[in-house]
Amino acid sequence: MRRFEYHRAETLEHASRLLAELGEDTFLFNGGTDLLVEIRERLRRVRHVVDIKQIPGLSDITYDETRGLTFGALVTVGRLERLALVRQRYPNLRAAFASLGSIQVRNRATVVGNVCRASPSADTIPPLIADGAFVHIYSRTNMRVVPLAEFFTGPGKSVLAKGEIVTGITVPPALDNSGKAYLKHGRRKAMELSTVGVAVSLTMEDGLCNDIRIALGAVGATVLRAPEAEAMLRGTALDAATIKNAANKAMEECTPISNVRASADYRRDMVGVLTGRAIKQALEAFA
Amino acid sequence: MNINTPIEEREFKIVGKSVRRDDVLEKVTGEAEYTGDVKLAGMLYGKTKRATVAHARIKSIDVSKALAYPGVKAVLTHENVPRVLHYGSPHPRSASCTKDQYILDDKVRFWGEGVAAVAAISEEIADEALDLIEVEYEPLPAVFEPEDAAQPGAPLIHEVGPGGNLVLDPVRVNRGNVEAGFAEADFVLEGTFSGGRPHPAYMEPNVCIADWDGSNKLTFWTSTQSSFMVRGILAEVLGLPLTKVRVLVDHMGGGFGAKQDCFQHEFLCALLAKETRRPVKMEFTRHETFIAGRARHPCKIWLKQGFKNDGTLVARDMKLVYDSGAYGSHGPGVTIVGTTAATSLYRCENVRLEGRCVYTNTPINGAFRGYGVVQSYYALDIQMDEAAERLGMDPAELKLKNVVREGDIAPSGHPILGHGLEICLQHGIDVLDWKTLRNRDRTPDPRQPHIRIGWGVGCEMHGSSAYPGIKEQGNATVKVNEDGTVTLLTGAAGLGTGAHTALAQIVAEELGVRFEDVGVIHGDTDVVPWDIGAFASHTTYLVGTAAKMAATKVRAAVLERAAIKLQVSSADLDLSEGTIFLKSDAGRFMTVAEAMGPSRGIPAANIVANGTYEPTKSYSFAAHFTEVHVDTETGIVEVKRVIPVHDIGRVIHPIAAQGQIEGGIQQGIGHTLTEDYVIDKKTGRSLNAGLVDYKMPLSMDMPDIETIILEAAPDPGGPWGAKGVGEDPIIAIGPAIANAIHDAIGVRFHHYPITPEDILKALREKGA
Repeated sequence: MRRFEYHRAETLEHASRLLAELGEDTFLFNGGTDLLVEIRERLRRVRHVVDIKQIPGLSDITYDETRGLTFGALVTVGRLERLALVRQRYPNLRAAFASLGSIQVRNRATVVGNVCRASPSADTIPPLIADGAFVHIYSRTNMRVVPLAEFFTGPGKSVLAKGEIVTGITVPPALDNSGKAYLKHGRRKAMELSTVGVAVSLTMEDGLCNDIRIALGAVGATVLRAPEAEAMLRGTALDAATIKNAANKAMEECTPISNVRASADYRRDMVGVLTGRAIKQALEAFA
Repeated sequence: MNINTPIEEREFKIVGKSVRRDDVLEKVTGEAEYTGDVKLAGMLYGKTKRATVAHARIKSIDVSKALAYPGVKAVLTHENVPRVLHYGSPHPRSASCTKDQYILDDKVRFWGEGVAAVAAISEEIADEALDLIEVEYEPLPAVFEPEDAAQPGAPLIHEVGPGGNLVLDPVRVNRGNVEAGFAEADFVLEGTFSGGRPHPAYMEPNVCIADWDGSNKLTFWTSTQSSFMVRGILAEVLGLPLTKVRVLVDHMGGGFGAKQDCFQHEFLCALLAKETRRPVKMEFTRHETFIAGRARHPCKIWLKQGFKNDGTLVARDMKLVYDSGAYGSHGPGVTIVGTTAATSLYRCENVRLEGRCVYTNTPINGAFRGYGVVQSYYALDIQMDEAAERLGMDPAELKLKNVVREGDIAPSGHPILGHGLEICLQHGIDVLDWKTLRNRDRTPDPRQPHIRIGWGVGCEMHGSSAYPGIKEQGNATVKVNEDGTVTLLTGAAGLGTGAHTALAQIVAEELGVRFEDVGVIHGDTDVVPWDIGAFASHTTYLVGTAAKMAATKVRAAVLERAAIKLQVSSADLDLSEGTIFLKSDAGRFMTVAEAMGPSRGIPAANIVANGTYEPTKSYSFAAHFTEVHVDTETGIVEVKRVIPVHDIGRVIHPIAAQGQIEGGIQQGIGHTLTEDYVIDKKTGRSLNAGLVDYKMPLSMDMPDIETIILEAAPDPGGPWGAKGVGEDPIIAIGPAIANAIHDAIGVRFHHYPITPEDILKALREKGA
C-alpha cells in the first residue's frame, strides 16, 4: 500500500480546517471500506487522510413522524440495516443496505460515506433519492441542507466545496400510504456492484398514485430520476399497461455505458424490467 | 464390484472415516504458517515492474532514478540477469513442456509481463520505485486471437518452437476409419464450441521468500504445488547443484493447478536476494495473480459426429485450438490431454482428432483443474445432448447407451479398469426419478411467469496421474518411533485438500496403528523423498499407494521385532490399533511401543522403509444432474440443485472427498455462468484483473448440492482401489448447466460463460 499521512480530527471545525490546509489529495477517513481499497489498488492518489471517527455527535439515529429519519455521518450501514424501524418502514433502504458489500463491510462502512463517494452504482443512493432525502453539510462559515437529488454533479463528484463535510442525512417520514422498493441487478447475491439498481417510492390515495419517484442507479453519470416515467404514472391506478409504458419511458430516460460488467443495451433493458418489477413490489404494501 | 482384478476386501478402521484433519486446529485458530507469514531478520521486499504494452522490443531501460531512491537496494533488468532459456512448466521428464522463457528478456510478449524488479526496505518503497524506472518500448504488431496468430505472415511471438506461433506440432489422433463411419451414419451433427478464460483465483496470492546463506546455499519458501520442480528449475537456471537449493512450503491457500509453474518472480526473488545478500520477499497483489498468474486456456472447437438412428455413435471428427497466451507453460500438456480425452467418454470406433496450441500476446494460460478436458468434454457432452434431441430420446438414456465400458481403450491407451460412468448415470436416473422429471408439467408458475425451469445432465471421466504424458513416481518414507508413533515423510504438497490427512489414514490403516499416532512431515526438499508435485488428481492414488507400500514394509519389520521379543514366529502375529497380538491367542500381546523400545539389553529399534510406486493410470467418473431457473426477462440463470454422482473408487476421507466435489462444482458454475478473465482485443490489456469484476460465485450463490459417492468401480492401482477426485467435479457441471438451460428455454449454447445478455439475445432470436 502506498504511504499516506494520518490525521485524527477532534471536531468538525478541526476536520474542515485540515481538509482546507492539507491541500489536494486529502480525504476524509470514515468507514474506510472504499478509501483504503482505492489507496491499495492505486486508484486514488492520497497523501493525507483525516479520520473523523472520533468527532462527537455524529453517531446518532433519530426518528419522528414529522421530520423523519435522521442519521449521522458515522452511522454504519449495518446498524441501520438491523434497525427495526428501517426494516418495517423503509423496506427500500433495508434492501439497499442489505445488498451492499458483505456483512463485514457493512459493519464498517457508513451510509454517508457511500453517498459521498458519489458512485453512480452506489446502492444506498437510489432509494434515498426516491424517498426525497437531504444531506446536512457543515462548513466553518455556515451549515446548509441540500436535497440528495441535487447533491451529485458527476461520477465521484458532488456539490461539496473544499472544507465542507456531510454530517448526516434526513429521510422524510414513511407515510402509511407509501410503498417503497429497491431492486439491485448483479451477477451474484453478495459482494456485488450493481449492474443496474432501481428504486421506487410512491404514495397511493383512493386507489390512485398520488406521487411517485423513480431513481435509477448505474445507468448514468449520477443516479438519475426518471421524471417522464413518473409523470406517466401519477394519478393513475398503476395498472399493468401503464406500468409497462412507464418502464419503457424510463429506458429512454437513462444514459448507460458499456463496460466489462454489461453492455449499455443490456443495462437499458434491465431498467425496463426492474422499473416494472419495483413498482409492483412497492404496491405489495397495499395488497 | 464391477472389476476383474481383485481388490483386497477388508474391514476398515480408519480408511473411509472422516477423521479430524491434521491441519484443522491450527487453521481455525490462525496458527497455521503460510508462506506469506515467514519473516526473516533484515528481509527486503521485492516488486515487479510490468509492461504496459502487449508486444514490443525494449529499446532502453533507465533504472538510475529507482536505484537512487532512498531505501532501494537493488534493481534487476534483462541487462543484469542471467540469460537462460528455460521451461515455464518445469516437468523434467515430460514431453508436455516447452523451453521458451528467459528470466527477463529484451522483448515483451504480453501486457503485464515483468520487465524489471526492485528490492527495497519496505513494500511501499519498492512499489514507489517501480514508477521511477523508465522503459522505452519499440512496439511490435500484436495478435490476441489464435486465428490471427495462426495466419501466415502473423507477427511471430517466439523465435523457438515449430513456428507459425504454434507452441507444439499439432497433436493428431486417428482410430478406425472416420470416412467409413460417416458413410454409415444416419445423420451428422456439426458445431463449433468455445470456452472463455476462467481463472483459478486461489485464495492465497503467489508469494516467495529467498535467503542465501554463507555457503552460497539458497533457501526458498514458496507457495507451490511442486516444490521439487521449483528446486530443479531454480538449480538449473541459477547453475547450482540440488544440494544448494532447499525449497520449503508448509500450508497453502490453494493452487488448482496454476501453482505448478515456476514463475518469473520466483527467479527474480532469488536473484534480488543474491544481489543484496539479504532475504527478499515477493508477494503478488490480487491484480498480479491475474496478469502474472495462469488461467485456463480459451479454446475453440469444431466437432462433427455421425450417429445411427438407434443412437450409436459411428464417427467423430474434431479440431481443437487452445490459446496458450504469450508462453508455452502447460500448453503442450493441456493440448495433448484435452485432445486425446476426446477419444473417449462416449464410445466411438472411428475417431479423428487434431489439437493445436497457439501463442498470442495475452497473459499466460497454464495448468488448471480439468486440464484441457473441461473444454473438450463441454463440446462432446452438449453434442450428445443434441443428438438425443434430434432422435427424440431422453439425453440421459442416450448417454447411458454410449458411455465408455469396462475394457474400452482409455485416452491413455490402455484398457479401462474400474469403469463407473454407467453406474453413476443409472444411479442418478434412479434416485431422481429422472423419467418423471423429464415428463413433468412445464407450465410456468403464474406468480413467476418469467421463470423457466430446466434439468440437465452432463458426464465426465478424468484420469488420476499424468501417465502417459509423464511416467510418474510416488514416494513415501515411513519411520516407526520408539514410543510406537509413526512418522510419514512425503513430498506431496498440502494445497488445502486434506491430502496429508488421507496419507496418514492410509499409513495408520495399513500398519495397524491409531490415526492420531501418525505424524506427517512434508514440504522440505532437503528432508522428504522426491515428489513430482500435487497435480493430475494423483496424490492419494500415487503417493497413497507408495505410503501403503512403505507401511507394509515397516509393519513386517515391527512384527519381526515383536516376534523376537515374544519368542514366536512373526507369521503368527497380527497388529491392530497399536497392539501386536498372537492370532491364536489375543491374550498374548505387546504394544508397538513395547516392541520398538529398548528392553533387556536390546537397544530401541530403528525401523524405516521407503515405498516407490510407478503407476499407469486410473479413471474416475461422474454424472452431474442439475436444475436451473432461467429468468427470461433478465437472462439470469440460477443453478438451484446439483446432484453429482461420482465414482472415485475407495473413498479414504468422505468429507474431504465431498468437499472436493462441492468446490469443483462451485468453480464449474462460475466458469459456465459468470467467470471470464477478459483481455481487450485491441490493446491486450486486462479488463477485469481483480475480484471486483471477475465474478466467482460465493457461498450465498451456491445451490443445494446433494453429493453421491459410489464405490462401485475401484482401480487396482490405488490404495484399496482409491482413485482421484481433484479434477473430476469441475468437468461435468458445465455441460449439465448448458443442457439444463436448453431444457428450460429451448436454446442451445456452445460456449461459456453463458451470460444474461447471451440468454436474452438468444431468446429474442428464437422469438423472431
